[in-house]
Amino acid sequence: MSAAEPVADGPLLQTKLHVPRRRRGVIARPRLGARLRRDDLPALTLISAPAGFGKTTLLAEWVAGEGPATGWLSLDARDNDPAVFWTYVVAALRAAVPEVGGSALALLRSHAPMDAVVATLLNELNDVAGDVVLVLDDYHLIEAQELHEAMAFLVEQLPPQIHLVIGSRADPPLPLGGLRGRGDLLEIRAADLRFTPDEAATYLNDTMGLALTGDDVDALEARTEGWIAALQLAALSMQGRDDVTDFIAGFAGDDRFIVDYLADEVLQRQSDEVRAFLLQTSILSRLTASLCTAVTGQGEAKAMLDLLDRANLFLVPLDDRRVWYRYHHLFADVLRARLLDEEPDLLHDLHRRACDWYAAHDDRPEAIRHAMAAEDFPRAAELIELAAPMLRRTRQEATLRRWLEALPGEVFETRPVLAMGLVGAHMATGSIVGVETLLDDVERWFRPVPAGDTSGPALQMVVADHDEFLRLPAQAAVQRAGLALMAGDTAGTIAHANRALDLLVADDGLIRGAAAALIGLADWRLGELEAARSRYADAVATFVRAGFFADSLGCSIALVDIQLALGQLTDAMRTFEAGLALAVEHGPLRGTADMHVGVAELLRERNQLDAALDHLHAGEQLGEHAGLPQNAYRWRVAAARIKQAQGDFAGALELLDQAERVYNTDFSPDVRPIGATRARVQLAQGDVASAVAWVRDRGLAADDDLSYVREYEHITLARTLLAQHTTGRVSQPSADLLGLLDRLLDAAEDGQRAGSATEILILQALAHQARTDTRTALATLEQALERAQAENYVRVFLDEGAPMVALLRAAANQGVAVHHARRLLAEVDDAPSAPSRQAVVDELSSRELEVLRLLRSDLSGPDIARELLVSLNTVRTHTKSIYSKLGVNNRREAVSRSAQLGL
Amino acid sequence: MTTENPAGDTGIERFEIRVKGHLEPRWAAWFDGLSLSTHDDGTTVIAGPVVDQAALHGLLQKLRDLGIPLVSLTQIPPDTTASQQEN
Repeated sequence: MSAAEPVADGPLLQTKLHVPRRRRGVIARPRLGARLRRDDLPALTLISAPAGFGKTTLLAEWVAGEGPATGWLSLDARDNDPAVFWTYVVAALRAAVPEVGGSALALLRSHAPMDAVVATLLNELNDVAGDVVLVLDDYHLIEAQELHEAMAFLVEQLPPQIHLVIGSRADPPLPLGGLRGRGDLLEIRAADLRFTPDEAATYLNDTMGLALTGDDVDALEARTEGWIAALQLAALSMQGRDDVTDFIAGFAGDDRFIVDYLADEVLQRQSDEVRAFLLQTSILSRLTASLCTAVTGQGEAKAMLDLLDRANLFLVPLDDRRVWYRYHHLFADVLRARLLDEEPDLLHDLHRRACDWYAAHDDRPEAIRHAMAAEDFPRAAELIELAAPMLRRTRQEATLRRWLEALPGEVFETRPVLAMGLVGAHMATGSIVGVETLLDDVERWFRPVPAGDTSGPALQMVVADHDEFLRLPAQAAVQRAGLALMAGDTAGTIAHANRALDLLVADDGLIRGAAAALIGLADWRLGELEAARSRYADAVATFVRAGFFADSLGCSIALVDIQLALGQLTDAMRTFEAGLALAVEHGPLRGTADMHVGVAELLRERNQLDAALDHLHAGEQLGEHAGLPQNAYRWRVAAARIKQAQGDFAGALELLDQAERVYNTDFSPDVRPIGATRARVQLAQGDVASAVAWVRDRGLAADDDLSYVREYEHITLARTLLAQHTTGRVSQPSADLLGLLDRLLDAAEDGQRAGSATEILILQALAHQARTDTRTALATLEQALERAQAENYVRVFLDEGAPMVALLRAAANQGVAVHHARRLLAEVDDAPSAPSRQAVVDELSSRELEVLRLLRSDLSGPDIARELLVSLNTVRTHTKSIYSKLGVNNRREAVSRSAQLGL
Repeated sequence: MTTENPAGDTGIERFEIRVKGHLEPRWAAWFDGLSLSTHDDGTTVIAGPVVDQAALHGLLQKLRDLGIPLVSLTQIPPDTTASQQEN
C-alpha cells in the first residue's frame, strides 16, 4: 500500500505518525494555548473530553507552533497488541529523536518480554538531551490491561526532559492522582474545551461567515453548551439558508439529541449520491479513492472526496497530498448507525468489498477485520492463515490469538494449519485446555484411511499455507511432547519428541531444535547427563544455524548446568562465550544477561572474583529483562556465592533469601535448591544448628536412596554431618557420614558426574582428617586434586576454609599432587579474597570478639571459661568458630591474624 | 440473578440506561436491538437484556463515543419493563 513502508519488520502506516493536517474552519484559541506552554510542560498533559470537543484540533494546532521536538501517534484499535503499540510508540519518538529506540526495537524483535522493551526504551530516553514531546491521540482506544500497566510504569519513570501528551475520550487508567499531587499533570477537560460565547461568535460569524445576531449566537451556544462538533454541524446546516433565525429557534426548542437533529439537517441537504457515499464508506476506518470506488461501486470517488473535503463534511486528511482521509470519529459513528438502520442487508456486502480491496493491496490485517465484520469466516480464516507467519515474525501473537479466538470452532475442524496456530497460541499462554482436541483435529488429516473404509472423511480439508501444512506432523508431535513434559511424563516427552524428529521436514531448525531440547530436558530429569548434554548441544547448534538465537541462549544455560555436573568447566566456559558472541553479533538478545551470570559463576569457581563481579555487573546493567525467566534468581545465587567466597556470609544469606522470592526454574529440574545453598553458607559461617534444622525440614537421612536430582542436597547433608563433628557436637565422624560419602561417590562415578565426584572426594578427605587419619585424608585429597587440576577447580577447595588449607599444606610438603596443591595455596596466600577486616568483624559475634580478646592474653582455656562465667566446652565452641572465621588452625595463628586485621 | 425463567435467557441481566436528549428509534440497531423510549423530561431510556458485563461496557462506550450525556444506569428485574409503563 502506498502509505505503508516497512519499518521494524512490519509495515507501519505513516499516516498514524503524521500530525493531522489543519482542517478548514479552525479558529485560534489563545486562552488554551496559554495553558499549554510548550517551554514548561509537566510529565503528563491530559486532554480528556468526550467526542467532538476539538481535542485533536487543539493538539495539532499546538504541535504546529514553535517548541521542542515532537512525535505524534494517532492510536487505533489494532494498537492493543503490545508489539504493534510499542513499535509505533518508538517510531513516533524516532520522528522526534532519530537516534532513540534502536535497542528497544531490537529487543522487541528478539522476543524479549514487553517490560524489557519498555525498560530499555526508558534507558534510551534518559540519554536524550533536550526536551521531547510524545503525543498519543485517541488513547481511549487502548483497552489492553497489559498496556495500561506498562504505560503507568513509563509515566512514573519518565525522565524530566520527556513529556507525554495524551488525548482521550475517557480518563486513562494511569496514576493520575499521584501525578496531580506532584504537579506533574496538566489537565485540559471538557469545561476548558467548550467554545465560550465569544469563540462561538468568532467561529460562526467570522470563520463560517454566517452573520448571526448576538441572540442567535447565544441561543446556539446555550443549546449546544459550547460542544464544538454540534456547533460545526449547526453551521453546516445554516450555510446558504435564508431562515437562519427560524432554524435556530426550531433547534433550540427541540429535545432531540443534538447530533441526531443536526446530522439529519446536514444529510437532508446533500444529494442522494453524496448521502449514499457517506453511508456506505462509513464502514471504512480510512478512505482513499480506489478503496471508496471498490466499496460503493461509484466511479468518481476522487472527485467525491474532494467535494466532501471542500464542503467540510467531517473529512480529516491524513497526509499532505490528500490521498488518505478518515471521517471525524463522531460523524462516522452517526453515519454507521444510519447505515445499520437503513440498509442492514448491504452491510456484509460492503465489508466484503472492503476486504477484497485490502487483500488485493496486501493489507491483510485490515482485510481480516472486514472479513470478520462481514461474518465471512471462511474468508477470514484463509487470510489469517496467510498472515500468521508475518504476525509471528513481528511478534503480534496477541493479534493472532484474538483473531483465532474470534473464529467459530468448526473452522478449525477443516483447517489444520489454523488449528495448529491456535495450539501454539494456547501453549504460549500456558493454557492447555482444548489443546489435545485441536491436536486430534490436526492429526486426523494425516491418519491413513483404513482399507475398506469407503466413507472417507466427511469434511473437506482446507489449506492456504502449504509450506506450513508440510510441517504439521512434526509440529503436532513436538506440541504433544511439550504437553507430556508439563504433565511430568518423561517417557512420553521423549517418545513424542523422537517422533517429531522422524517426521521432520528437511532443515526445519525450529522443530528440530525444540525436539532436541525437549529430549535433553527429559534426559536431564532422568539423570542421564551425557545423553542430555549431547541433545542440548545439538539444540544450541541447530537454533543458531536456523537463526533462533534467543532460543539457543535458553538451551545454553541448561547445557552449562549439565556440563558443570559432568565436571567440564572449560567446555562450559566455551558455551557461554559462544552465547555472548551471538549476543554481540545479533543482540541485544533475551538471555544475554544469563550468559554474563553464567560466566561470573565459572570465574568464581576459578577464584577470579573481580572478573566475576564485572560480569555480574554487566548482566545487571542489561536489566533483569534481558534475562530469561530463571535469570532473576540465578543472578542472586551467583552473587551470593561470590559474597561467600569473600567471607561476607550475611550478605550471601540476604541474597539467597531474595533469590528464593524470585525463584523460577522454567521446567528445568531443580538440581541445586536454594535451601541447600543457604545451609552451605550457614555451615561456612559456623551456624551448624540452622543447617541441622534444614536437614530435618527436608527429611534428609544418611541412608536415603540416592538420586541425581537430590545429589546436591545429600552432599549438603554430608557437609552438615561433618560440621557437627568438627564443632565438637559429635565426637567422631559417624560411620553414617563415611558410608553416605562412599555411596555418593559411587553414584556420581556411575553417572559420570566428575564435578560432583571432586566435591565428594574433598569431603571424604576432610572427614578422614577429622578422624586424624591424615594418611587416608591425603590419599583421598590427591584424587580430588588430580581430577581438579585439568579443569582448574579452585573455590571448591578454598571454600572449605582452614582445615583444607592445612591439608593442602601437608600435601604440598609431602609431595602429594604438588602442582595443583601449590597453585591453590598460592591463591590463599595472596588471597585478595581473604576475609576483610570488616567482614570478619561483622561475622564475629560480640561474645566471640570477647573470647578473641582473651585468647590474646596469657589466660588458659579454663581461665577464660571462669572469666566469662561459662563452661570450658562453650569456650571451645567459640574458639573453633573464631578459628573458622579467621581461617586459622590454632591460638597462635588466631592471635597473629587478629593482629594483622587490627582487631 | 434469576434462577430460571420461561424465556430461557437464564442469567442474562436487564439494564436501563438513561441518557440526556431524545434518541430516535433508528438507533435501536446501533444499540444491539435494545428498546428506546423517550421521556418528557428530555431523556431517553435504552433498555433490555445485556449478555454480560463486557457487553454492558461496550454499550456505555458507544454512548461515550457519541458524546451523549449519561444520566443513570439501573439493573432491572427480569420481567418488568418499567420505563415503558412509565410513559
